[in-house]
Amino acid sequence: MYNKKFLEQVETRLNKWREAHKKEIEEAENDERFTEDEIPLRFLYTPLDSEIDFEKDIGFPGDYPYTRGIDARGYRGNLWTPSQYAGFGNQRETNQLFKNMIAHGNPPYLALDLPTQMGYDSDHPMAMGEVGRTGIPIRSLKDWEIIFDGIDLGGLYVGTVINAPASVILAMHIVSAENQGADLTKIRGSLQNDILKEFTARGNYIFPVEPSMRLVTDMIEYCAENLPAYWPICVCGAHFSEAGSNRVHEVAFSMSNAFAYIDEVLKREIPIDLFAKGFFFLMKTNHYDFFEEVTKFRVMRKIWARTLREKYGAKDAESMKLRILAHAGGSLMTRERPELNIARNTIACMAGAVGGIQLIGLKTMDEVFGIPSEKTQMIAIGTQHVVAYETGIPDVADPLGGSYYIEKLTKEFENQVIDELDHIEKLGGVIKTIESGYIKKAIAEDAYKSYKEMESGKKIKVGVNKFSIDEKEVPLKPYELPPHEEARQIEDLKELKRIRDNSLVKKTLSGLKDVARRPSGSENNLVPPIIEAVKAYATIGEICGALREVFGEYKEHYAL
Amino acid sequence: MDVEKEQRKIRVLIGKPGLDGHDRGALILAMVLRDAGMEVIYSGRHNTPEELVTAAIQEDVDILGVSILSGAHLSLCQRIVDLLSEKKAEGIYFVVGGFISDEDILKLKAMGVREVFGVQSSVKEIIDHFRQATQNMKRRE
Repeated sequence: MYNKKFLEQVETRLNKWREAHKKEIEEAENDERFTEDEIPLRFLYTPLDSEIDFEKDIGFPGDYPYTRGIDARGYRGNLWTPSQYAGFGNQRETNQLFKNMIAHGNPPYLALDLPTQMGYDSDHPMAMGEVGRTGIPIRSLKDWEIIFDGIDLGGLYVGTVINAPASVILAMHIVSAENQGADLTKIRGSLQNDILKEFTARGNYIFPVEPSMRLVTDMIEYCAENLPAYWPICVCGAHFSEAGSNRVHEVAFSMSNAFAYIDEVLKREIPIDLFAKGFFFLMKTNHYDFFEEVTKFRVMRKIWARTLREKYGAKDAESMKLRILAHAGGSLMTRERPELNIARNTIACMAGAVGGIQLIGLKTMDEVFGIPSEKTQMIAIGTQHVVAYETGIPDVADPLGGSYYIEKLTKEFENQVIDELDHIEKLGGVIKTIESGYIKKAIAEDAYKSYKEMESGKKIKVGVNKFSIDEKEVPLKPYELPPHEEARQIEDLKELKRIRDNSLVKKTLSGLKDVARRPSGSENNLVPPIIEAVKAYATIGEICGALREVFGEYKEHYAL
Repeated sequence: MDVEKEQRKIRVLIGKPGLDGHDRGALILAMVLRDAGMEVIYSGRHNTPEELVTAAIQEDVDILGVSILSGAHLSLCQRIVDLLSEKKAEGIYFVVGGFISDEDILKLKAMGVREVFGVQSSVKEIIDHFRQATQNMKRRE
């Protein structure tokens, strides 16, 4: 980045400085520090460390390779959007919560209960005790209509964390927006729809790998053709991180998953520029190793842009711009001294903001106690507003760009990610590494390592393994599911099944099974028959049940 | 008390009942127990209480430990306690870990869960507890 003469001057000056401060420098250098990914850290960086090609590695915001951000204006054009993950066990309470959050600039980002995420209705035996626990039960279009009662779906971005049954939720969004009279080419929203990470990190899979990939591909194709403003796939690194992986693995595993989806869609001969802009990423934004976190976002944008252009031949800049949503880490929140979680979230928010990402979700201070209350959700949104409006961070694009340290770390982090991506390639690609257990084992080993560092005190968690205080049981009160809610939900479902046209449900489900039995391909896209079933108020359990009949289920085998 | 039983390693089945897929805690605990010299089997995710109790009996474990983070612990544990008693396997020491409120800890213990570990429990505490519990079981034999 600098010319030779300048670097020689710096070196001469540096040597003088080292001579003058010999003892202190030795002391600092003996105190070795590393990032979470074992990248060794100098205690000071200088121009001599920045062997960077400005044009190739850094450039300008809004320009390839987008290291410095995807928008030439930085945040002066669009600020990041607060994206708090929320949802109560009761649909009507959730509707009220969403209205309040939307009023504070936080679009709905739906947390669903586990039976919904696993494609079971509330009355299924596997749903016992789980109904409404981790979020909203959405069984049929009816529930979706209650949740969005009085909320205009026309221009509002609606994110939903849904994977194996994502096609059913997509269908509900489409049908309800249509019923509200919205223009489908303008509706905005996102699914998670990243099934590969379910097999290795999160665990909410239903079908075997192959039909799961077919469903993902069907949705990407359907949205590319019909819903150009929609993001059908959110590739997740966050869940690797939460399952314990280090940052390099978080990035490499999620990016190799993304490339696996792209390869699958390309098999249908759909042009890359037609669908690549429907991809975005969900990553962690952690307060640990703040600077490495910032470099992570820069590195991801760079690798994405380069791969899309060079490997996949993308020509449209929109395909090369990586949009990133990041969430603070729930696993980093503590039960001890829980007020400190607000500090952790503030720093996490800053890492995302300095990293120039598009959406940020923080955890709540009561995360460790249960489902966040409305009060703590509003504290998390307010925390984002403090960072956005009181710190000046959004005033300048890529504010840490050009820092000797940040640029050096960006380069080193990038090299590590590329090595891991190559390694996965050599092992036969991501599907092979899922089947062989390589990824799951790598994550478990990272988690074990980080756990041992915490146990030994090498890694510090304030209030947990250092700076503890004696405190009485914490006064935080998380959201409480109303008593008998599960029974009430089951009653609701019975009522729905009594009043809807059951012969139409039967017909649409059998139509869906017919398409599912045919081979994967554009002509057998599963989204249209799922939309028909959703219109008939078929439930998520019935729709996924029909697909279970045809596809079977995935069963995990894991040896320690 | 025969010699073989005396020297037998403590056998543990770590299970994930219900729909919760978060197995970081379960996996770390399984690895820690293994490194502490116990024989550990991990069930994998999404098991029914029936599957776990059957596996615990077939594998002849001393301890069945389940991890539940979704909030479904009361219903799932009640079912496991009932099944252990139905199958005359109350000798298997049944414990649970997860996000569990103090109020629910009391309910779980009242229904027959032998111990409840929370996010604040250290693994050393869990290892010591398992060793102590199996010692006591042997003494009673």
